[in-house]
Amino acid sequence: MNVAGRIVAREANGRSSAATLPTQPFRLAAGGLVDRSRTLAFTFDGKRYAGHPGDTLAAALLANGVRLVGRSFKYHRPRGILSAGVEEPNALAELRSGARREPNTRMTTAELYDGLQAASQNRFPSLAFDLRAVNSLLSPLLVTGFYYKTFMWPSSFWEKVYEPLIRRAAGLGRAATGADPDHYEKSTTFCDLLVIGAGPAGLAAALAAGRSGARVIVCEEDFLLGGRALADRRRVEGRPAASWVTEAEAELESLPEVRIFRRTAVFGAYDGGTYAALERVADHLPVPPAHQPRQRLWRIVAQRAVLAAGAIERPLVFGGNDRPGVMLAGAVRSYLNRFGVAPGSRAAVFSNNDDAVRTVADLAAAGVPVSAYIDPRPQIPAAVRQVAERAGARVLTGAVVQRAVGWEKLLYVRVANDTGQEFVVNCDLLAISGGWSPTVHLTSHAGGRPQWREDIAAFVPGTPPPGMTVIGAAAGDLALADGLAAGARAGAQAARDCGFSVADAPVPFADAESTVIAPLWRVRNATGKAFVDFQNDVTATDIRIAEQEGFRSVEHLKRYTTLGMATDQGKTANINGLALMAEYTARSIAETGTTRFRPPTTSVAIAAFAGQHRGREFRPTRLPPTHAWAQELGADFVETGEWLRAQQFSRPGEPDWLATVSREVNAVRNGVGFCDVSTLGKIDIQGADAAEFLDRVYANLFSTLPVGRARYGLMLREDGLVMDDGTTSRLGETHYAMTTTTANAARVLQHLALCREWLWPSLDVQIVPVTEQWAQLSIAGPKARAVLQAIVDPAFDLSNQAFPFMAAGAGTVCGGVAARLFRISFSGELAYELAVPARFGDALARRLMQVGNDFGITPYGTEALGVMRIEKGHPAGPELNGQTTAGDIGLGRLLSKKKDFIGRAMAARPGLTDPNRPTLVGLRPLDRAARLRAGAHFLPRDAAATAANDQGHMTSVAFSPTLGHWIGLGLLARGPQRLGEVVRAHDPVRDGDVLVEVTSPVFVDPQGVRLHV
Amino acid sequence: MSEAALLPRSPLAGLLRPVGGRGAAGVTVAERGSLRIAGLVARAGGAVLADIVRAAYGVDLPTSPRRTEADGLEFIWAGPAQWIVLAEPGADDLAATLRGRFGMLAAVTEQDDARVVLRIAGPRVRDALAKGVPIDLHPRAFGPGDVALTLAGHVPVHLWQVDDGPAYDIAVARSLAGSFCHWLRDSAGEYGMAVEG
Repeated sequence: MNVAGRIVAREANGRSSAATLPTQPFRLAAGGLVDRSRTLAFTFDGKRYAGHPGDTLAAALLANGVRLVGRSFKYHRPRGILSAGVEEPNALAELRSGARREPNTRMTTAELYDGLQAASQNRFPSLAFDLRAVNSLLSPLLVTGFYYKTFMWPSSFWEKVYEPLIRRAAGLGRAATGADPDHYEKSTTFCDLLVIGAGPAGLAAALAAGRSGARVIVCEEDFLLGGRALADRRRVEGRPAASWVTEAEAELESLPEVRIFRRTAVFGAYDGGTYAALERVADHLPVPPAHQPRQRLWRIVAQRAVLAAGAIERPLVFGGNDRPGVMLAGAVRSYLNRFGVAPGSRAAVFSNNDDAVRTVADLAAAGVPVSAYIDPRPQIPAAVRQVAERAGARVLTGAVVQRAVGWEKLLYVRVANDTGQEFVVNCDLLAISGGWSPTVHLTSHAGGRPQWREDIAAFVPGTPPPGMTVIGAAAGDLALADGLAAGARAGAQAARDCGFSVADAPVPFADAESTVIAPLWRVRNATGKAFVDFQNDVTATDIRIAEQEGFRSVEHLKRYTTLGMATDQGKTANINGLALMAEYTARSIAETGTTRFRPPTTSVAIAAFAGQHRGREFRPTRLPPTHAWAQELGADFVETGEWLRAQQFSRPGEPDWLATVSREVNAVRNGVGFCDVSTLGKIDIQGADAAEFLDRVYANLFSTLPVGRARYGLMLREDGLVMDDGTTSRLGETHYAMTTTTANAARVLQHLALCREWLWPSLDVQIVPVTEQWAQLSIAGPKARAVLQAIVDPAFDLSNQAFPFMAAGAGTVCGGVAARLFRISFSGELAYELAVPARFGDALARRLMQVGNDFGITPYGTEALGVMRIEKGHPAGPELNGQTTAGDIGLGRLLSKKKDFIGRAMAARPGLTDPNRPTLVGLRPLDRAARLRAGAHFLPRDAAATAANDQGHMTSVAFSPTLGHWIGLGLLARGPQRLGEVVRAHDPVRDGDVLVEVTSPVFVDPQGVRLHV
Repeated sequence: MSEAALLPRSPLAGLLRPVGGRGAAGVTVAERGSLRIAGLVARAGGAVLADIVRAAYGVDLPTSPRRTEADGLEFIWAGPAQWIVLAEPGADDLAATLRGRFGMLAAVTEQDDARVVLRIAGPRVRDALAKGVPIDLHPRAFGPGDVALTLAGHVPVHLWQVDDGPAYDIAVARSLAGSFCHWLRDSAGEYGMAVEG
């Protein structure tokens, strides 16, 4: 015994605190790829420990003799570290604290850094003393499917009682409650060859392709390249495998078109050679450096891919196989050889294959005594026996471990052999191997089904996604030499496929090995709980129960028992589980099949998918030209589609938004105001057939519009319903300027493009969006002309005769700034829309404030705009809701009978011309003090509030400062024939009932006198 | 009556700021301000327009996503039979000039204010652009004169490579300049971004 207790004094790394750190009693005196010249301090459950750069948290904990690292999900059983990689089911921790706290982090992949804070999960009150471990005694109650069986009734208990109870008792780590302070990003890159996994096979592929000049990306999930070459004492080309890796890495680094992504897991394969990968850019640092992301999501588009993702070792299923101290045999070698850590002080090895005996040799070489090598095979190859015996291990063949005994740590194992003999083997470390499962997940993402290979007792890839070649252990070729050869071949072929010429190069060679296996899916006569899925606490018995209760398909098995549904997605559990189901149902494993693997293959933070698009940057924001000016005025803003528009310009002393909006409306009705309407869609239409084109897309005529005039236009969809409206002006014989609503600008442009390109390609018409080019301000109110007079250049004649209602023209303002002027009105007042090149929009708003000061000019926002259009009965978004006809909104007269147009035929369908359709009317409350609510449904005055009595609904409401009470627009069955009638506006959700009188939708200036002054 | 002319405001005002990085900036950005920009859509297939352009400027209008330069003008492909034309600041009213030259052969629109054009360059520019521009900008795939209509983050952009520096010009809708600059600062911050001009 020369490990435990042997303390190698090391120099502190200059930090005063390091000197007082505990020693690492299980750190081997030499060896491994950790930097022993530096010591890192970290805490686990508040206790301070030391480790080295190059350690994972798991390795460092083992070096410190920490074996108990977590509690299991359901039974709260003590758990230790099972693996040394991404497949880890037990050793999960919360890392960091506060808003950076990250639950369910695998200690086996978490890279140690100075100051790392880690905490165990799922224990109460402490890891060593967990009260809920009593669950283990209650396990007869917590049987398979217990959620479904226990929490079924009464259903009202589900949300209030059962779910909170389950959530508190179960679940693993706790998510942070604060907003994630770190930055995430997404990136796209392209390559000829993507190599997934940088073990020996992947490196050989990357070298073969990279030397040809091909663009190669190598993705390695680990922070070191090398894969199993770092964990096993092997030789490649006559050198230690780790040295060969170093040389290969250096050569790859020297190739300009080869990029190596470390800490990068490829987690999804998609169509078109697209792969998704997560790069953990700064997870190994306490805090990301300034301007660096914590994680980066890569979209990698590759012409060819080589999957060299290796294989995952399977546990064996026997009693107490989850005791801390039971560890995968390959993981034991990782800790010994890569990290220089002894994961125990006295070991035994239990394996059904030739590979694991290397663990016996490596333990012995590291000075850890091995009590026994236990193999269920009656006969084992002489070479295997020799290795074990040379290491001093007692060789027990035809033998199995029936039970691992201990609680928080392993004390001994009970072994029985096929002659009925029983043994007790003392050990605090049991290395187990049930064989290796190729990491086939990515090959399934495009629908490929893994194929069972009886000879190696493993699923190998079926049909991989197009362009992907699978090599090495991932393809079921477990021998190192085979992986190297396959890598060299696949890399060269990929480069040739991409048009590169590849020089012949010798294939790297390695020492031979045997990987023979005899499957052992469970130990019969095992006593105690035998776990299949460690993280979800699924035992062999649970699988038996699922079979007995009829959940025999692997998909049912998974959902009924939760096998493979934990954060590790059953990487160590699935094959054992389905093999047991095969046994219980007397089917072959091939017949039983696997569940389908879907992306992501490993857990990916939602933040990584969001990348930069969080909060305000969730989607782009479009700002109108006057935004900065409105901001200076302290405007409130509202999102309308992508745009951010000024909603109202409140002034000090105004009690609420209603007071502000009413002031703005009154200013326009009695004086003058202005509003930025640049967000309305503007489309330039030119061509000899422009007039014809507009006649076809609008329901009303535009070919008859004189040059220099504007006209309201109504556009239908092909199905006869209203699509959009707006004013379109004729700037020249073959030149029109169309406007659309803000909301439909993009849709109308698409529609016009479809019409031009597809329906009528013979028309000479060109359609160009110009929304962004013009800042357009609406200047409205009785004093609008006077204000405008102060800024237009002298050539502009604004008189009512020269520039009447619906006139459109071009000229200059403010001493030579090009401008377009339209006398159109949404407010019902004398109004103009003035357009200038967008760069001048800000200055134009400021100039209007100056020159309009004497007239009391008032900027107004979208709220006042909305109030005034309701006062005038103009339909807008709530009325143009995609379900209304021209007739419904009172515009049936616009449907031209002189021409054909889009939507004409379908608008004549009986359902769309039914006189009983709800039609636009105005509504005012009988009690003038009552408030109206949009969304209220209309009922006959004395009718019951049933759907059968529903006669339409209130679409828009506003408080009208002009009238001094609330008004509404609504769609009421036969509305225009019911003027003067009183109906109920029924709103069961908010204020109940209001009696309303049906009126004309035009509340203010019904004759339109003000428009024409 | 009118007063002095209005002062123009760039949508990039206050938005282009250096970010991060000590030492040499990995990315540089400059506004190509006050450019004259016109939209050009060929009528009737554009064969005659191409002839006129060849006669007037000695270049072929690109029929694939490419950019060509002549006589102080840049013709940038913007879709089938569509281009944007750029002229340096101070040039005459570009749209008027083109209308005069092409008459009824093309629909010309003023676009001077519709887009902002940024020149983005530097040794790490491709890495920064990769964080939102989902196309292959490797020199084997995209070179000087190549043009793309693509995205930067969620912002639609019109992008072309200027030289082997590499330098790229990126045209962004005016209203989206703020969102674009936010994306650019986020993406280039890691490499350090300097503002020129």
